Amino acid sequence: MDLASIYYLGVTILLFLVFAAIVARTYSKKHKASGEEPKYRMMDDDHPKENGKGGRDVRRK
Amino acid sequence: MNQQEGYADDVVKGFITWSMVWGLVAVLVGVLISFQIAFPQLNLPPYLTYGRLRPIHTNAGIFGWGIGSFMAFFYYITQRLTRTGIWSPGLARVQLWLFNLAIALAAVTLALGMNRSKEYAELEWPVASLVVVVWVIFAVNIVMTIVKRREEQMYISLWYILATLVGVAVLYLVNNASIPVSLTKSYSAYAGANDANVQWWYGHNAVAMVLTTPPLAIFYYFLPKATGVPIYSHRMGVIAFWSLIFMYLWTGAHHLLWAPVPDWVQTLAMAFSVMLIAPSWAAVFNGYFSMNGQWHQMRENYLVKFLIFGITFYGAQTLQGPSQSIRTFSAFIHFTDWVPGHVHMGTLGWVSLVLFAAIYYTLPRIYGTEIYSIRLANIHFWLVLTGQLMFSISMWIAGVQQAAMLNATNPDGSLHYSFMETMIEIYPYWHIRALGGVVYLAGLCVFLYNIWKTVAGAKTQGAAQPA
Repeated sequence: MDLASIYYLGVTILLFLVFAAIVARTYSKKHKASGEEPKYRMMDDDHPKENGKGGRDVRRK
Repeated sequence: MNQQEGYADDVVKGFITWSMVWGLVAVLVGVLISFQIAFPQLNLPPYLTYGRLRPIHTNAGIFGWGIGSFMAFFYYITQRLTRTGIWSPGLARVQLWLFNLAIALAAVTLALGMNRSKEYAELEWPVASLVVVVWVIFAVNIVMTIVKRREEQMYISLWYILATLVGVAVLYLVNNASIPVSLTKSYSAYAGANDANVQWWYGHNAVAMVLTTPPLAIFYYFLPKATGVPIYSHRMGVIAFWSLIFMYLWTGAHHLLWAPVPDWVQTLAMAFSVMLIAPSWAAVFNGYFSMNGQWHQMRENYLVKFLIFGITFYGAQTLQGPSQSIRTFSAFIHFTDWVPGHVHMGTLGWVSLVLFAAIYYTLPRIYGTEIYSIRLANIHFWLVLTGQLMFSISMWIAGVQQAAMLNATNPDGSLHYSFMETMIEIYPYWHIRALGGVVYLAGLCVFLYNIWKTVAGAKTQGAAQPA
């Protein structure tokens, strides 16, 4: 196995691990509620937030 | 109901209007070239021939109608999901006019025969450079809007939007790398099989980043809005998104099966194409499961009909596509009319149905009115559905017949039919296709009339209101 093959294999494994981490995080119990929250919040987006009411995500605790 | 305050929707109106204009051009030219195939005497050289008009049809359809609409809805959706106005409305207006200039220049230069001979990347370097400028403006405006967002989490549509912006930029820049020899002629920076490999890496990922991720962003946004019920699983949407992104960029070489590119590249493309069924169908299931307890809306809500049929065609498309990427099946149907049948199920069935729904949902809200006629919208739906099915089904049958004839051999191994004999046999299907195009065009005209009456009615109402 030459150096290029080792490099490609390493990148492949790295990408797979990144994907596995995304799946694990998304489906962890800890992130279940926050992972589903955007689908509820997008239902009521008819008005932008006012500039005077603080920064990002003012409705969240 | 007035235009929602705080959102810059004028540019959304502009992009929707112009995308409809280019969409009409694409379908008109499409119908013309379908008649030119059925009746070759309709080819009038040099400008009105199939060879000159076909790239105008695809560029007007994919880039004028498709990307024009995506630009409109990316601005519409991004503002709402970030709960903030566009970063620079002025830049967006500049983008609108440069976009129209690029599409018009594309039509003119292609009609004049200036063509890089690369499918979906036909534009010569001055026009392609203008496209790059338009895309950079667009990407900067959307990204900056997301950066200054007032929502911590990003809804799935925003992920698809960001993927589109990055993906198209990378694909377009790499595949359009060329050496200009004059203002109207350039040569690819790559040679031979490498050029083909880069071209189809681009070509199939144009399907990914233009005809898959943007309509998915739009579908994920407008299905919940149309039904009034949130999407079934946001987390499933996120996983499907990342799966799609990890897999899609490897699939391009399935266009080069049996071609002189390395065997492992072809096998890799084939494997990833089949694996893509999983994320594609995750989106389909997400749409179907979102309809749990809501299926009655298919009868009662015309928007839902467009969206659910759209995602169903996406599902069918993403089963048919991977099947075609398998060597044996590809050997059978490649170079036959099966392929345009497949492509038009995606463009007319999946992409356009979702875009029609999005326009029906958006324009009345922006103009502060109601849709002119739901009945006309239903007529539009059935006409475009019938036209598209006539097109696709006739081409699939023609493709299988042609493939069978091309593969038929005599006992001594020689070919049983000549290529011309296969052409003559599929004339009846070309007539059906042309008729399907006319039916689709009729549906499109009903749609445009409905939209025109909606907008005209809104302006009349606005003028009648006391100051």
